[in-house]
Amino acid sequence: MSLIYRLKANHPNFSHVIHDYIGEMRPFAKRVSKPHLVIPMVMLKTIEWGIYRWHKTPIRRFYGVKSNELIYMITNACNDRCPKCGIWERPEPKSQHLMISHFINCLKRLHHNLYQVTLTGGEPLLFKKDVMLIAEEARKLNVPMVIVSNARLVDEEFLNRYKALGHILVISVDSVEKQKWNEFRGRNNFDIVMPKIMLAKNILGSQLRIQSVLSKESAQEIPKVIEWCKQQGIQHNTQLYQDFGAYNWHNAVTEKAMVDDGTPCAARKNICIYPNGDVVKCFDHRRIPLAKEPLGNIAKQDIIEILCTKRSTEVSKIMKTCNFPCKNMSCNKPQTLLFN
Amino acid sequence: MSALIIPCFIKNQWDIDCLNRLLGSVQSQTKPFERVYLVNDSSPLKYECRHDFVEHIILDKNGGPARARNIGIEKVLKLDIQHLLFTDHDCILDREWNEQMTSFLSRTEFAAVGGMTHSWGKTFLDYYHDINGTLAGKWLLPDKKELWYMPSLNFGMKAFAAEQFPFDERFPTAAGEDVDLCLRLRSKYRIGFCPAAKLWHDYGYKNSILGFNKFVKLFKKYKSSSATVYEGHTVLMWDSSESIFKGNMYESDLQA
Repeated sequence: MSLIYRLKANHPNFSHVIHDYIGEMRPFAKRVSKPHLVIPMVMLKTIEWGIYRWHKTPIRRFYGVKSNELIYMITNACNDRCPKCGIWERPEPKSQHLMISHFINCLKRLHHNLYQVTLTGGEPLLFKKDVMLIAEEARKLNVPMVIVSNARLVDEEFLNRYKALGHILVISVDSVEKQKWNEFRGRNNFDIVMPKIMLAKNILGSQLRIQSVLSKESAQEIPKVIEWCKQQGIQHNTQLYQDFGAYNWHNAVTEKAMVDDGTPCAARKNICIYPNGDVVKCFDHRRIPLAKEPLGNIAKQDIIEILCTKRSTEVSKIMKTCNFPCKNMSCNKPQTLLFN
Repeated sequence: MSALIIPCFIKNQWDIDCLNRLLGSVQSQTKPFERVYLVNDSSPLKYECRHDFVEHIILDKNGGPARARNIGIEKVLKLDIQHLLFTDHDCILDREWNEQMTSFLSRTEFAAVGGMTHSWGKTFLDYYHDINGTLAGKWLLPDKKELWYMPSLNFGMKAFAAEQFPFDERFPTAAGEDVDLCLRLRSKYRIGFCPAAKLWHDYGYKNSILGFNKFVKLFKKYKSSSATVYEGHTVLMWDSSESIFKGNMYESDLQA
């Protein structure tokens, strides 16, 4: 997963409009059996096309089928230095960090559609105060929340408040052995974090989950993590794929095997927000040429407006047939396939 | 056995004439309906139904076509009727419409069905709707083995599907509520297409010039509803589809 793209939002240009128009008109014109009616009919079709494209209409905000996941990468910054992940190398400057009120507003606007809001990073708990604001708002709006964390900053006060809100905490664990743990985290913090995981288990109970990322480097450790989770009664999930960062970790399953596994990508359900407020439909959006640039920014635009743009809908259409190895990222899998 | 549900909101004499014309076509079906429910959604104009085969339900408060249809659905589900069919007051049924729709539902595993809709008028605008498939269903691409969507003016459901998927009454007007229903229904079942079940829809264009304003308003209304539906169905809304017209109505045979 790369976070590198031009910051300037790229709106569809004139050639997109022409392409869209021709794409509509060509098959329509073929339907007209009487040659002398082709021009008047295409003119009427042009009017219909223009209305659908440009007519501004109030959206009734009453309504939603809970089929989307809102995923907020609250920060790139992290207090671990995991070699599997390069995000921590690119912490966003303070000036580019989204004001929390913008995200809360986005959550309010979308909550009818959400089955879950997920906070990821970087390490989300570096912004613990903001995380709790989101958790409380999600509770008010009746949207379940998930935080994916390394657990370094969890404490009793946080866990008790979080427990009361009924949300889920997912802790990332790739080894339960001290030496490997410290190697995988790039920090000697096994003795600090393990007790925190046990504290989280005691306080959160079934609201705690563990997730591991399978790689060649962690392949021997993951079965031990799974066994440990079984012993502790903690639900576990193994993520088969990650676009590994600068330290040359490798996927254990070949990309071809992951692509050919016959499962569809569920990333169309996602509405993803970057630390600066940029909106994409999937954190691996760069694989789709039309989706390379963000769809908009929630600090500047209403999220519904962003999602209703022509390009957003085109990207959603394209994503229906996405079949890349990143479909094995937890965020791109249907909820029912996780933590079984 | 089948029941027909017709929501109506009578505003003027044209609506009354349309409704009488529809009920005439209902009466002349080759296979009669077990029940016909006319759900009058608190219309401003009084309508006296002359047909004794019609159960005329007058609502005391206007709630939109979704609510009116749901009231009809509730009535039907209390009876031992397997098929619920829907049309609108400005339609005219082919004589075999009920026979074709119910026969399709009986012999296939589709939970719902749409028929073929033609324009009643003869203006350029009507011709446009015919080739555009404005109120015909939409094939789900790429296979065309089921429908992406079928407008509720030419629509039928099996009773178990109607029980699980009523119309969403938060849609206040006749736009979008049928798209929403189809999208929800398709999460569990499939919608078939029966080209032999024909009906005609009267758009009410006096002629191509005078009808133009109405034509534009129609698409503005649909644009508004599609934005609303999109807000609710950001995942399913953008599956590829192709509107049905005479030239592609027989491209798939879903009869078996």
